[in-house]
Amino acid sequence: MNRPNPSSRSADRERADRIYYTLAALLGGAVILYFAVVPFVGANLAFHFYLMLWITMASGFNVSSGFSGYMPFGYVAFYGVGAFTTAILVKKLGFPVLLALPFSGLAGLVLALLFAPTLRLSGIYFAIVSLALAYICRLVITNMPEEMTGGSFGIQLGSQAEPVLSFYVMMATMMLALGTILWLSRSRLGKALRAVRDDAEAADMMGVNITRVRLYGWLIAAFFPAVCGGVEAWYTNIVDTETAFNTLITAKTVIYAIAGGLGTVSGPIVGALVMVWLDELIWRQFPLLNLLILGLATVLLVLFLPRGIVGTLLRWRPAWRRYVP
Amino acid sequence: MNAALEARDLIKRFGGLVALDGVQFAAAEGEVLGIIGVNGAGKTTLMNCLCGLYQPDEGEIRLAGEDVTGRTPHEIAARGVGRTFQVPRVFRRMSLIDNLLVPVLRRRATDRALIDQAETMLERMRLIDLRHNFAEELSGGQQKLLEMARMLMPDPRVVMLDEPFAGVHPTLCRFMIEQIEAMAAERKTVLLISHDLTSIYRLSHRVLALNQGRVIAEGGVEAIRGNPAVIEAYLGA
Repeated sequence: MNRPNPSSRSADRERADRIYYTLAALLGGAVILYFAVVPFVGANLAFHFYLMLWITMASGFNVSSGFSGYMPFGYVAFYGVGAFTTAILVKKLGFPVLLALPFSGLAGLVLALLFAPTLRLSGIYFAIVSLALAYICRLVITNMPEEMTGGSFGIQLGSQAEPVLSFYVMMATMMLALGTILWLSRSRLGKALRAVRDDAEAADMMGVNITRVRLYGWLIAAFFPAVCGGVEAWYTNIVDTETAFNTLITAKTVIYAIAGGLGTVSGPIVGALVMVWLDELIWRQFPLLNLLILGLATVLLVLFLPRGIVGTLLRWRPAWRRYVP
Repeated sequence: MNAALEARDLIKRFGGLVALDGVQFAAAEGEVLGIIGVNGAGKTTLMNCLCGLYQPDEGEIRLAGEDVTGRTPHEIAARGVGRTFQVPRVFRRMSLIDNLLVPVLRRRATDRALIDQAETMLERMRLIDLRHNFAEELSGGQQKLLEMARMLMPDPRVVMLDEPFAGVHPTLCRFMIEQIEAMAAERKTVLLISHDLTSIYRLSHRVLALNQGRVIAEGGVEAIRGNPAVIEAYLGA
């Protein structure tokens, strides 16, 4: 059998890398172009805002689940804390919104550090503890002084609403998330995370500092939902614990990420695009049965495409793994 | 001169069970030390202690004279210790090349240089044509070879092989024996656990026999082969 020699292997690698980055650039360019024109062509701003939000959320979740192997059922905690951070800084402390948003990300990172001891758990134990911690976050904020968090009425941001600007900030957040995950997918940290995901003990014995690697992945996964929460608070102009910590946010994030396929850059994008559109179509046709039909569609998807759309495609065509971001 | 690897009076308990009871040995550079014993003798527990996965309750582990007792697995790996497992523990959803890159992620070399090295290693292990496949797509024997390749990537000074021949086709077995001989020729210290006594006797310079967590015999192949305690432990005679 003719084995490829080192120079032909090197050329083959360069070719694969070229295709990978070209596809990534095309995908990124298409996404930017598509969303950038939305405010100008009179398309539904809210729908596209939330589409970008779900792409970002699903991509952040992908770092935690697809790369690191954690399934945080309490993922909404970062989102909620980010939303309240922006609202409190803007409404109570008079911060400009654009200055408050990085603090939302920072709040997500601080919360992730507080939750970091749970990373020694795995599987369903981690998932349940994470869910419990999200409830604790919600309870803590609910029970904080009303002057600070607005009690059950929440906080209204007043005259801060700038739908188009917040739309573009959401777009920038999404592109930052996608860029981070593109980098992660090819980086040494990404390889270490995947190794830890597949077998933490073996990775440890191969010289990977699993505690540090897990923490880095966890911080990346926490940052983006927190910023999303902040941007959404700005967009809707109101934050309350009922919506900011709604478990449906975690549920949708998980469904969109899994539908596309965890572990790839494009999976959560495809998953969010397909499922959010599907959700919208179902809602238009069957407004009363919307969640029921969406739930059914999710069950069918998981049954027939357990690795998600992109994941299943790459299972059918393993050779494409090197080319598809 | 310091031994490449040394264990002094290792004791490891799991609740009331004493898995290792005062085990001690020393292995020199370039030496192949066979470790034999019936199931439950403490062979894998010993290996897990040596590579930091288990912390011994008592005793000391030294690598080239340095006390590494209590160190974490990745700290011990960074000091030049590699291992394989009884049941292959490859990174299932990573390509073969990525599997090999994991132990050298902290190395200051370009990615391209590391990938070249990984491909050379895969060529040596006859897995080069499968380099882009996921590890989960390999057969059991191929996964054993992949583990061996992954272990050798950072050029460790001490290698520990846990049952490398278990469930492996004889042709592949011969190939693995050649690789272990090559490791010894490269002056690596090899700890070899196996139930395949023929291979152990062929490869080992010395053999350590364990039974119920204790060293019941240690010495050259001929001495171990005829040792009554070893015969009794194995055959119950």
